[in-house]
Formats: sequence, C-alpha cells, structure tokens
Amino acid sequence: MIALQHIAKVYEVGGQPIYALRDLNEDIGSGEYVAIVGPSGSGKSTLLNVIGCLLRPSKGAYLFNGEDVSQFDDQALSHVRQHQIGFIFQSFHLVPRLTALGNVALPMVFAGIPSSERQIRAQEALDAVGLSDRADHRPNQLSVGQRQRVVIARAIIMQPLLLLADEPTGNLDTHSGQQIMELLESLNAKGLTMLVVTHDPKVARRANRVIVLADGQIVKRIKGEELTSGSAPFF
Amino acid sequence: MTVMDLIRFAGGAVWAHRLRSVLSLLGIAIGVGAVILLTAIGEGTRYFVLAQFTQFGTNILAINPGKTKTLGMPGVLGGTTHKLTLEDADALSRIPGVEAVVPMAMGMGRVEAEGRGRSVNVLGVTAAMPTVWRFAIGQGEFLPAGDLNRATSVAVLGPKMKRELFGDRNPLGAIIRIAGYRFRVIGVMEPKGQVLGYDLDDAVYVPVANAMRMFNLDELMEVDVAYQSATMVDRVVGAVRQILIDRHHGTEDFSITTQAAMLESLDEIMRIVTLAAVGIAGISLVVGALGIVTMMWISVGERMSEIGLLRAMGALPRQIFLIFIVESVMLSVLGGALGVCLGMLGAFALTLVLPGLPVFVDEQYLVLALLVAIGTGLLSGVGPARRAIRIDPVEALHAE
Amino acid sequence: MLIDLISLAWSALVGHRLRTILSVVGVAVGIAAVVALTALGEGARHYVIQEFTSIGSNLLSVLPGKTETTGAMPGIGGVPNDLTLQDLLALRRQIHSAQYIVPVSMGTETVSHGERRRQVAVIGSSPEFLDARELRLAQGQFLPPGDVERGAPVVVLGHITARELFPGEQPLGQVVRVGEWRMRVIGVLAEIGTQLGVKMDEVVIVPVATGMKMFNRSSLFRILVKVRSPKDLDGACEQVISILTQRHDEEDVTCITQKAVIATFSSILQTLTLVLVAIGAISLTVAGIGVMNVMLVTVSERTEEIGLLRALGATHGQILSVFLLEAVMLAGLGGLVGLLVGLGGVHLLTWMYPAVPAAAPVWAIGAALGVAMILGGIFGVVPAQRAAKLDPIMALQRR
Repeated sequence: MIALQHIAKVYEVGGQPIYALRDLNEDIGSGEYVAIVGPSGSGKSTLLNVIGCLLRPSKGAYLFNGEDVSQFDDQALSHVRQHQIGFIFQSFHLVPRLTALGNVALPMVFAGIPSSERQIRAQEALDAVGLSDRADHRPNQLSVGQRQRVVIARAIIMQPLLLLADEPTGNLDTHSGQQIMELLESLNAKGLTMLVVTHDPKVARRANRVIVLADGQIVKRIKGEELTSGSAPFF
Repeated sequence: MTVMDLIRFAGGAVWAHRLRSVLSLLGIAIGVGAVILLTAIGEGTRYFVLAQFTQFGTNILAINPGKTKTLGMPGVLGGTTHKLTLEDADALSRIPGVEAVVPMAMGMGRVEAEGRGRSVNVLGVTAAMPTVWRFAIGQGEFLPAGDLNRATSVAVLGPKMKRELFGDRNPLGAIIRIAGYRFRVIGVMEPKGQVLGYDLDDAVYVPVANAMRMFNLDELMEVDVAYQSATMVDRVVGAVRQILIDRHHGTEDFSITTQAAMLESLDEIMRIVTLAAVGIAGISLVVGALGIVTMMWISVGERMSEIGLLRAMGALPRQIFLIFIVESVMLSVLGGALGVCLGMLGAFALTLVLPGLPVFVDEQYLVLALLVAIGTGLLSGVGPARRAIRIDPVEALHAE
Repeated sequence: MLIDLISLAWSALVGHRLRTILSVVGVAVGIAAVVALTALGEGARHYVIQEFTSIGSNLLSVLPGKTETTGAMPGIGGVPNDLTLQDLLALRRQIHSAQYIVPVSMGTETVSHGERRRQVAVIGSSPEFLDARELRLAQGQFLPPGDVERGAPVVVLGHITARELFPGEQPLGQVVRVGEWRMRVIGVLAEIGTQLGVKMDEVVIVPVATGMKMFNRSSLFRILVKVRSPKDLDGACEQVISILTQRHDEEDVTCITQKAVIATFSSILQTLTLVLVAIGAISLTVAGIGVMNVMLVTVSERTEEIGLLRALGATHGQILSVFLLEAVMLAGLGGLVGLLVGLGGVHLLTWMYPAVPAAAPVWAIGAALGVAMILGGIFGVVPAQRAAKLDPIMALQRR
C-alpha cells in the first residue's frame, strides 16, 4: 500500500543542506503493523510526516495506494489526509473549546459531511472507543487516557486506510498506555494499516515489524518479537 | 464545510474568549454608535433647516438690490445705481407663469395702541403676501388688493403683536399709531413661529406704499415672485433678469435668488458639515478595526497547534482562511449591531434630554453602518487569516 | 528600581513587536486626530482674532437700529431715526475720551475711466478713516481735512481698483466717474487684502458728505469711535448711547466694541473646536480599550512568568507596577507617534494650502502625551490588577 522509492528530505540551515532522510526505500503492505524506532534526530518524525502527506519529499517517489502522491499539490494532499489517513499525536491536539463529540466530528466538518450524519457517526466512534458517556465533556474534563481515546475516535472517523501514531503512549501512565495500545491493535486486527513511531521498546515489540532509523536511513529491519530490551542502543 | 459550520466553529472561538471578544467588538460598537448618533443629529438638523425654508413655498424667487454672488445678504451696503421700485415690481407681475409678486419695504417703528407701545419690524407688503409666503390669516382679513402705489391706512398684526397690544380683546377696527401715523387694524395673522431665530409673529404688515412713505424710502428691500411650477424656474428667472436690466438701463444691479437654489446650497452645506463630523467619528472605527486586527493576530499565534491539527486532518488553506475571516467579521458585525443600538439609544436619550434638538435616524445609515462594519471585519481579518494559512502544519503540530 | 521596571516592560513590548506596533498605531491615530483638529480649531480662532485686532482694538462702532445681540445685522432697510452727520458732530463735541470719531457711509456704484468700468463698494468717510482701519497709502494723499458736511469731489482708490482703471498709467490727478459724479483721484491705497469681509483693495473712498449725496442717503452706515485706551471703551459706549438717545428721543442705536465681537467669535470657535476634539477623542477611548485588551492577553500569557516573579520575591505592588508601566509605555509611545504624525499632518496641510490657518498650540503637545499616558494608566489598571492578584502557586503550576 505504501511504497517509498529513493526518498530524501533536505532542509537548508544557514545555507548548508541538512539531510533528514536520505535515499530511503521501503514497502508497507495493507494491514501491516509497523513500528518506527531510532534515536532522536534519526528522521522518525520526518518519515512519519512524509508518509502522512504533511511533507513532500525533496527527492524520490512516494506511492500511496498506487498513486505517486509526491507529485500532488497542496489541495490533493489535503484530500488524501482527509480521507485516507488518521493521525494520533503524543500531545493529543484536541481543540479545548469543543466537546469530545465535537472534536471527533471535526474531520467530517472539513469533508463536508452533513451535520446530522456527523452526530451519529461521531457518537458511534465514541462508543467504539468506550467513551459513550463522555460525549459532552471538554478535553480538560477528561483523563489523559480518555483524551487519547477521543483522539483515536477522531483518527478513525473518516474510515482511513492508514493510521499514523506518533508516540501514542508518550504522555500516558503505564496502565492507560497499555489500554491504548490494545485499542489500536484491535483496530489493526480489523485490517487498518498502522504505523507507530516510538521510543518505547515495549511498544515497538508489539508490532509485526520494526524499522530502525539512524541518520535518515533505515539501518535495520527486524520482527517485533526479535526486539529485546538488549536492543536499547537503537533508541 | 457549510456556512453554518463556519459560523459555529468561528463562533465557538469567539465565545471561548468572551472578555477579549467583547472588548474588541466594543471598539467597533463605539465607532459605529458615534457615527449613527452624529448622522442622526446632522440629518435632523438638515431636515429642520429645510423645513424652515420650505414652509414659505419652493416656487418663489427673491430679487434684492445690489449685485452679489454669495448667499449673504445682498443690498445691505445700501444705495445702488438704480433703485428697485414699485414700477419694477409691477412690470414683473406681467411675466407669463408668474402667479404673484410681492414688493417689500421694511422699517423699524414704534407701534402704539391704547397707551401701549412696542418697537417692531413694520413690513410693507401687498395683498398677495399670504399666498406667496404661505401665511394664514387668523382673524379679519389681509391687506386689500388694488393699485400698488395707493396708500391705504390699514394694518394687519402678527399674533404676538396683537397679544402685546390688545391682550384678549378684539383688535379689529381699532386704531393704532405706527411711527406716528394712524392705521386701522383689519386683521391678525395665524401664528407662524420663529424662523432661524427671527420671530415672524412680532410684526406689523401695512401696504407697501404706506411703508415707503412712512420710512421715507425710495426703493424696495426685496421683491418676491411666485411662479406656477418648478419646471418654469429658468424661464421666469430669465424673464425677470431681462425686464429689470432693460428697466435699469442695461445694468444688472440686482440679485435673483431662487428658493430652490438656496435650499440646494443649504442642503449641500448641511451635508458637508454632517459628513465632516461623521468622518472624524469614523477615525474611531479605524482604531476599532486595528483592535480587531491585533486580537485576531494574537489569536492566530495562540492557536498554532490547532491550525496544524486542522491541516493534518485535511482542512484546506482556504477553509482555514475562511475560519479566521468569519471570526473577524463576526466580531465586527456584533460590534456594528451593538453600535447601531448604542447610536439609536443615544439619539433617543438626546431627544429626552434636549427636546429642541432635531434628531432623525435614517434607516439607510443604519444599513450603511452595518455594511461598513462587515467591510471592517473583512479588512481586519485578512492579515491574521493570511498569517494562519502560512503556518507550516508540521511545525505548528510540534509547537507546544 | 524604576529603570529596571522600565527595561522589563520595554523588553516585553519589544518581544511582541507586531501587537505592540498595532496598539501603538491605534493610540497614535486617535492622538493625531485630536492634535490635528485642535490645531485647525486654534488656528482658525487666532486667524479671526488677528483679523479683528488688525483694525484696532480701541475702536467701537455705532450702528443705527437697536439690537439685543452683537451677532445679528441691525437696520435692515429703513430705521426709525437716521444716524446723521449732526449726530456725529454732537458726539465729537461731547466725548472727550475719544481720539477721533469717524463717519462711514457705504454703497455700491459703477466707477469708470474712459471705457473701463467696474462696480465697486464706495465708502464715504473722513481723513481719520485711514488710521481707524489701519490702512496705508501707496501714493498721493488721503481725504483732505475740513468740514465733514462739505464734500469735495475727490476720491482715493483701492489697490486693485486703481490697477484695473489705470493699467500702466499714473492715476493721481486723473478724473474718474463714480456713478454720475466726476471726481479727481488724489490717492491710491497700498495693498491690504480683505478686512471684515470687505475687499479693501477693490473699494473707492470719497468724503462722507459726497458719499451720502451720491447714494441719496440721510443716514450714516456707522460711526467709528477711537478711544485712547481700551479701558475707555465701555464708558465711551455708554456716553454715545446716552447722547444719541437724548438727540433721538429713544434708544435706537447699537454700540459694538471690538472686544465684544472678538469674545463672541472666539467663544464660538472654541466651542466648535471642543466639539470636534470631543468627537475625535472617541477614537482615543477605542484605542484605550485596545490597549486594555492586549494587556489582558499579555497577563494571561505570562501567568507562569508572574508566578516565577512572585516566587522570587516580587511584591503585589511590584507586579502591579510592571504591568501598569507596560500599558503606560504602550499608550505613551502611541501618543508620541500620534503627536509627530499630527504635527506633520498640520505642517503638510499648511505647506500645501498656505491659506489654511492651522497651528497646534503648545499646550496641545504636552496634553497629547499626557492624555495618552493617562489613557494607558486607566485602561492598564484592570489587566495589571489581574496580574497582581494571581496566586503564585497556581500561576507556577499552570501549564
């Protein structure tokens, strides 16, 4: 579903080119559960943003679902994000003045889905993440675990093909982190492709496949269960 | 994204920061309110002044001795090459389309009756005066028609004059003395009130020939000509000018002022004054708009991560732009509406405090004020909204 | 300590450059409007006062007809009793505080010389008129002294009248026709401009008796009385009225002193300026609200910093003064910019239209700055109090 071919991302800093990604090749199939790990500055976030159609690569081709999205303009990329990709952030990014329901319904607003349908679908999504009775609560009235559930409900509301999670458990305690991962994995089990960027070996180990990044390149591809606590130097 | 969605989303943001929203829209409200109030006073005064003049009828023109081009007071400097005479007035009455001609001479004289006396304006006019000036007779009759040159010792009193001299008694038939001459009272005018501070009721009307003899005048102060319809104004003015130039041996030593022209210039002056005041008040609208720009700018800065999130969810730059424009317009329209209320309330309060002040709220200015408010909002929103769409979503999402 | 506070506030203002600029511009627009309007109003007032004082402040005018106010024009048309040359002579005999007493009659006539003709205002007066109206002669001489009741056929031409009738010629000694009358030109006035609405460059001046005969008038237009010092004005007025009342058997003249006219005009213009400035000041209120809004945002943004300052030992009063000072500086800066823009605008205006009398009074400069700073103080109080009232622990904990 995802094919990255010779992807490079270059930033100019003080006239000097800085390579965030260099000549990166990878294929990710439909329904896969992949973790991306690597030390700070290894290019994890840049890669996630490229895959999430938030950044256009400087070089190379990015085939998403058979289309070369690296050639898409801003409008077309927005459209891909709107319909095919769901985002989960470490710091939630909930709109504080909207209720849980309002936050979940937000992507449908920009997609032009009528209000009545939005209500029903958002409520269903909240039911699915176990927050049926929290629909009217604002983010600051919810626990951090509940907030991340709202974010997940929002990410899947448009029924995307791909779910991207950037440190989904980074701001959570162990217990709610565990619950969130279980929720995400249940979504993956239903066929949703899932990419998780993480620092946490415990999280990464759960994935089918782990991609290890360093200096903007993939240095290692291993299976999740192969990852042991001994692999810590990678993080 | 429908308009309703836009309004709901932007409204949520406005509502979330109530205090700063209220302060921002208050700026616009004060500006709009001031403009509404000033136009109300300006328009009110304009209508008041115009009404004062139109009560004499609009299809009249005045001829004064002396050549002046301004609105001022022609002939105040005195003597001219050729006098404006009763014969001139008589000649003018034969112009086709002219309904009536009123030659007027005026002086100040002491009027005495039954031991009481007052110094008032004595106006020498003719029988046509009530028709031309739209004055009504309250009691008795007005001066008799007839030969302009014949002096008849009859007088008509202004209502205030009558009250001062006779109280509640019937003055008809009574003999009064005006500047020493004996006159018989034959009528009393209806009250007309004051026009621009000049009391029309405190006067005495006598035949023009008597007035000229009494005050030893050899020329008229003014000749008023009433014509049938507004369409013939140019023709009548042309005829009047030609006849008088011919009679005055080729010199144009008089001025013709049509009521219409005078009303027009008065209207113009009042409009300019109102416009100037409104313009000055409009400065506060500019300042109010600056307030909205500031607040919107701050709001965009504060909501960086929100904008990043919306972009990540697939919101188009156009949609982000619209959200902030709608927020800005919302503030200014609410401000405008509040301003309209404040202005009207102010106008209403003014009529209570100063009942004499003419105040008139013109609906077209209310609509205009709201349109200006919407325009202000649009303009104020552009800068901040452009800032919002220039935000890089990747950076915005990481800005914490 | 104050220096520290100022530099702290300054760094905060510079830190948010754009919002600082926007707030400053808001205040500046208001202040500039008020400064410019004050300048226009005061300029107009000075212009009018100057116009009046240019024709002597020790002067009073006597007009036929009785009026209550100084504003209205008395004596439209005929009057009960004429103001005659005999009245003038009586005044000359009896009023000793007067330096001189001048008759004035006025009318319009056609003045011609050969083919050239012009309709002009004709003033009939006496030799003292030159001094009373502070006129100067360009050449020749003014009206000859002598009996006011006998008018010689001589005329003094205004600057423009002389130029129009005698282009490139010497007018002195020539004969012109004023209406039906043949008169000899004995003098030409220097260029003077407009005085009290009369274009003095376009008049002709003749002896008063000649003028009255010419217009067939028995009454003078007015009598001018010049007294030796301003304190004699009121006394002279009373005297004139009592003498003329006695002569006419009723009080039918009006006496106007220059002082009264100036005072009336001055107060009218002052009121007008005040109204305009008040309307302009509305924008200052709006600017003040803007400053308050920005300061409220600043306080809420800097909650953590305030908590830190409190933890470091800053007192309630110190926090209050930091934010108050910031507001005052913001508004004061706006006042300064507005003042410069306003003064610049006025300069530009007078440079482009030299006829426009506009000059910002000195007090307005100080007042503009003062008002701006007071504005900042007033609208800064609420945000500053909000900052000072913050609980340090809560403030620090806020994320």
